[in-house]
Parts: sequence; structure tokens; C-alpha cells
Amino acid sequence: MVKSERLHAEHVEPTPSGAWLVGVIAWFIPGVGHLMLKKFGRAALMGGVVWFCFFVGLAMGGHMFDLQTGQGSSVWLQVPPMIANIGSGALYLVCWLLNIGFADDPVQAARATYEYGNTFLLIAGLLNYLTMLDAFDIAAGRRS
Amino acid sequence: MRHFLVMCLFAAMASVVFGAMAKDNARERWLYGLKVFAEFIVIGLVLAWILYFIPW
Repeated sequence: MVKSERLHAEHVEPTPSGAWLVGVIAWFIPGVGHLMLKKFGRAALMGGVVWFCFFVGLAMGGHMFDLQTGQGSSVWLQVPPMIANIGSGALYLVCWLLNIGFADDPVQAARATYEYGNTFLLIAGLLNYLTMLDAFDIAAGRRS
Repeated sequence: MRHFLVMCLFAAMASVVFGAMAKDNARERWLYGLKVFAEFIVIGLVLAWILYFIPW
């Protein structure tokens, strides 16, 4: 089968515009994307996990990343963990605006749970990216 | 002990999301979630013991 025939055979349905909106909202407020789709169990499980990980991370004294290093290291080193943190959506934005979890505090960094807190904050964002993709796929009709 | 419990908490949270979005029916989701949880714990313990014997 030549390429043009294969492309014709693999006809791809266009993504409904509402799916993009669901995806954006699912990223911005964890769990709400599934609520919009009336997937209440998934919203509670997946969104709940993101909120839980985020607040456990903060309670453990975790640190979130933005483009300010404060330690003379390269800004580029901040970008990968910042992308992970941004996955938390509004939670990250509110903390950034209120300067919660962004200060470079040696006392906070000395806590035994500091690195665990960092990990939980990172994983909250990364799991929310998965949650967002799941909500998007459901809204686009690619899965039930 | 606290380190292990935190690792279990981390594994549980990640496996809930992986399990919820992976398979097609509830039984398969439960099984997959449990499998992912067990893999996190076992691999975490194996890595911890490997790092324990590395002197730096």
C-alpha cells in the first residue's frame, strides 16, 4: 500500500474542540477535567492523588522550582523540575504568587523530609499531566 | 522505618493513577495497580541495597 492509500485508510477523526478545553481545565485544577466528563470516581482518585501529593510535599518542607536559582547555578538546570512542578496547575501558580515553597531557606533544606517533599511536589505535577491526558482522551472519545 | 513508609506512600499514590488510567475493566485496573505498587517497592529495595554497598 502506498503512502497516500495508507493515509486514506487510517482516517483520523478530528479532535473535538471541547476536548482541548477539558484538557486545559484538567491541568489547571486537578480532577476537574474528569468532573466535567462526569467521571466522578476517576476525578476523586486521580485528582485526589495530585492534591494529596502536593500538600504532603509542602508539609514535608519541599521546594518548588522556578527560573531563579539563588545559588549561582545555571538557569537551565531549573527548567526540567520547573516543568514537572508546573504540572500542578493552579496549585503551583497560587504558591508562586504567594511565595510559598519557593524560598531558598537553609533551615527548611536541613529538614529530614526536605528531599521527600521535593519528590512529592514533582510527582504531583507529573501525575497531573497523566490525569490531564486521560481526561483529554476521554473527552476526545479515544477511551471510555 | 519512616523512609520505607514514605516510599510506600509514594508507590501507592503513583500506582493509583497508573492503575486508574491503564486498563479497561475494574479487575484489570486493580491487578495492574497492585503490580505497579509491588514493582515500585521491590525495585526501590533492590536499589537501596545496591547503593548501600557502594562506598561513595
